[in-house]
Amino acid sequence: MRYILRKLGLLILTAWAAITLNFLLPRLMPGSPADAALAKLAQAGPVSPATRAAIEVQLGVPTGGIGSQYVQYLGNVVHLDFGVSYTFFPQSVSSLVTSALPWTLVMVGLVTILAFVIGTLVGVLAAWKRGTWLDTLPTLSGTFTSAFPYFWTALLLVFFLGYVLRWFPTSGAYGASASPNLSGTFLLDALYHAILPALTILITSLGGWILGMRNTMINTLGEDYVTFAEANGLRNRTVALRYAARNAILPSLTGFGLALGGVVGGSLLVERVFNYPGVGYLLYNAVTNQDYPLMQALFLMITISVLVANFIVDILYGFLDPRTRR
Amino acid sequence: MTNGSRRVPRRLATALGVGLAAALVVSGCSATVQTKGTASSGTGSLLFAADNGSPTFARNFNPYSGSKRNTATIIYEPLFVVNTLDGKAAPFLGTAYTQPDAKTIVIDIRQGVKWSDGQAFSADDVVFTYELLKKFPALDTTGVWQHLASIEASGSKVTMHLTAEDVPAANIVLAIPIVSQHLWKDIADPVTATDENPVGTGPYTLGDFGPNQYKLEKNPTYWQADKVAATELVLPAANTQLDIVNNGYDWAYAFMSDVENTWVKAGKGNTYWFPPGGTISLLPNLTKAPYNDVNFRKGLSAALDRKAIADVAEEGYVQAAGQSGLLLPNQQDWLSSALPDSGAVKQDTAAALAFFSKAGYTKTGDKLVDASGKQLTIAITTANGWTDWLRGVQEVQKELLAIGIAVTINQPQPAAYQQAIQNGDFDVALGSFGGTGSVYQDFNNLLSSEFLKPVGTSTVANYQRFSDPKVDALLAQLKVTIDTTKQKDIANQLQQAMYDQVPVIGMFYGGLWGLFSDKSFTNWPSKDNPYATPQTWGSNPLLVLTNIKRVGS
Repeated sequence: MRYILRKLGLLILTAWAAITLNFLLPRLMPGSPADAALAKLAQAGPVSPATRAAIEVQLGVPTGGIGSQYVQYLGNVVHLDFGVSYTFFPQSVSSLVTSALPWTLVMVGLVTILAFVIGTLVGVLAAWKRGTWLDTLPTLSGTFTSAFPYFWTALLLVFFLGYVLRWFPTSGAYGASASPNLSGTFLLDALYHAILPALTILITSLGGWILGMRNTMINTLGEDYVTFAEANGLRNRTVALRYAARNAILPSLTGFGLALGGVVGGSLLVERVFNYPGVGYLLYNAVTNQDYPLMQALFLMITISVLVANFIVDILYGFLDPRTRR
Repeated sequence: MTNGSRRVPRRLATALGVGLAAALVVSGCSATVQTKGTASSGTGSLLFAADNGSPTFARNFNPYSGSKRNTATIIYEPLFVVNTLDGKAAPFLGTAYTQPDAKTIVIDIRQGVKWSDGQAFSADDVVFTYELLKKFPALDTTGVWQHLASIEASGSKVTMHLTAEDVPAANIVLAIPIVSQHLWKDIADPVTATDENPVGTGPYTLGDFGPNQYKLEKNPTYWQADKVAATELVLPAANTQLDIVNNGYDWAYAFMSDVENTWVKAGKGNTYWFPPGGTISLLPNLTKAPYNDVNFRKGLSAALDRKAIADVAEEGYVQAAGQSGLLLPNQQDWLSSALPDSGAVKQDTAAALAFFSKAGYTKTGDKLVDASGKQLTIAITTANGWTDWLRGVQEVQKELLAIGIAVTINQPQPAAYQQAIQNGDFDVALGSFGGTGSVYQDFNNLLSSEFLKPVGTSTVANYQRFSDPKVDALLAQLKVTIDTTKQKDIANQLQQAMYDQVPVIGMFYGGLWGLFSDKSFTNWPSKDNPYATPQTWGSNPLLVLTNIKRVGS
């Protein structure tokens, strides 16, 4: 119990630090929301001197001192009221986040789980059959693909599967004439549009899980209790899965917890390339337009979910491995 | 295990070899790519890259909102639409205007126009719109109430009284999209209103709206419906360059690298037109030494090969700019005949060195050094991610290095760049000026001391912080002059000041990147028929959409 309380205290302290940093960081960026809006307009054509004044009035750019802004911000965080977005004025931040979150949660979330499950299983197999082609093939290609940058893989897939072969749509989360609803045709359409972005994330993240699992598993296979189990004549599958893999999965599980926590942050580069309306794209818009309210809400959501995921993994660890409880 | 690990390198080599071969084979195939070309020929539908969702569309057609759908200014018409290429105003909801004196504009309002809900449009709607902007300054994004004192209607005429003698203000104040009194008078807060079902007087009304694509349908009761050729505009949310070459757009606005091979070859009838839309220039910070020395600036100007810079930056699609301060050939009529070589400045190393030596810099070995023997170093600020500008700056760096000047390049993010030039926090910055269509506005934004602010205080124009009482006097005079011969005389003197004092160093013209397709519609704006710019935003599309013709009709 004391262990849980200690962890909970730590969680609250880190959450406060994260919330405060979250307030400060966007304000340390050079330029202001109005500057960002003007820079965008200036690229398109000459901006009249009157435009800046009107943009500032329209955005309601914060004017009070940094202290009063902070107090106001803390109050808003408690009430989960993040105000109105600058970029998408007059839409509220909450409505923007709510419309982006499902896309990211489903697409990135499912792929993360899929990559973890496939990667771990392949890793177990590779470690068990170490030295054979069943080891070298996944290990080598895993090393190779996990070094691919997201956007590069995404662009390759867009070009070959989307543009040259025309098997898949190159952008968007659903067809041009569709509007989000829960009908079967829409869900199929959405699934079809999710394949390329999902494939990108799968290709680039699979390697990490394979390598991580394989390497710990090989260590575990050298342990005495595994040798003992083998000497006892237990079936290969039992030794591999119930003795070795079960112990070797602990570090991967931590990674998985963190990855799941990070899912809400979306996959910025992938979503940008595929014009996918998820949280990552929203974050990109928020940062490039210096949209403080939107940035704050998104960063807060990401940090809190990573912290909570971390907390849950910590608690789980306490049960799985009693040594950590001390 | 040891056996296995020794085998790895050989397998890695094989894997790499196979991968490389596969990549070569596949890239060889890509030459035979076919384009889909969603043929809209015959249907009257126009595929239009005028609005980008980010990544999806929000339904906001409030024509004064910063995050409006771009086509709100097609649904809502202004009194007049200015072609920024030549500054001429085409009549829309106004039929003609006169300036009886430099403080008054009298506009004849078009009769017989109906809002798309069937109600009649009148001069009262015009007055209501301007009063709305006065009441809610956040809507007044072009600052018309900085020029206007009052507005009144009498019958079919609207009279605007200006705050001061201000002839060039007409182009600004007449360009406001007009909204209907009967619908907008009930909107409590027009700043946050999203106007989801816009009712305008324009050639199109809103059709199907979805987050990934929406349509504008031709307004059957439009007052010049016979001139509107496209029955429907289709606007997708995603208009990446790949989409543009892939999907058979009729009209798009994008800088395409290698446009002949990417856009023109992508579909039959694809054309492009890149007229100049602004002068990309080096802005020397005139509050700092040595940039405050005119000889130093002339030295920089003479050291540059502008043609090479233009070619490197924009792949040869735009022309080198001269030192007249005008956009050529758009403003050819205004060009002063007194300027040698039409204001063009040739690269002349000997002349550059002579100017630099007057400014106190001499060439020693391959370096240009000051009195203490230190090499001259210039920091140029440009925005991160604007790659064409960066290529231009890199060419400048190369050319200046050849004459012995070391150049460092600062690339802050766009918002930080904007802040830096507004606050005068730079040595030399890359910037753009001109392109409003009005000679007065172009020169006023560039040279007027009304925008002069000390370094550290933000300004919105004249970033290089130029100030000359004589130029101010000329600008003030141009502002109140109605007679065109006199206007040209003053403009000539302003060009001379640009040429002699080099407040900024013009380098090349920024292009307006218009991509058109002749497969369904013709008579797009072009070099031979520059009735509008290629811009897909603002009121400019009104000019284009009422001028294009259906193929085969």
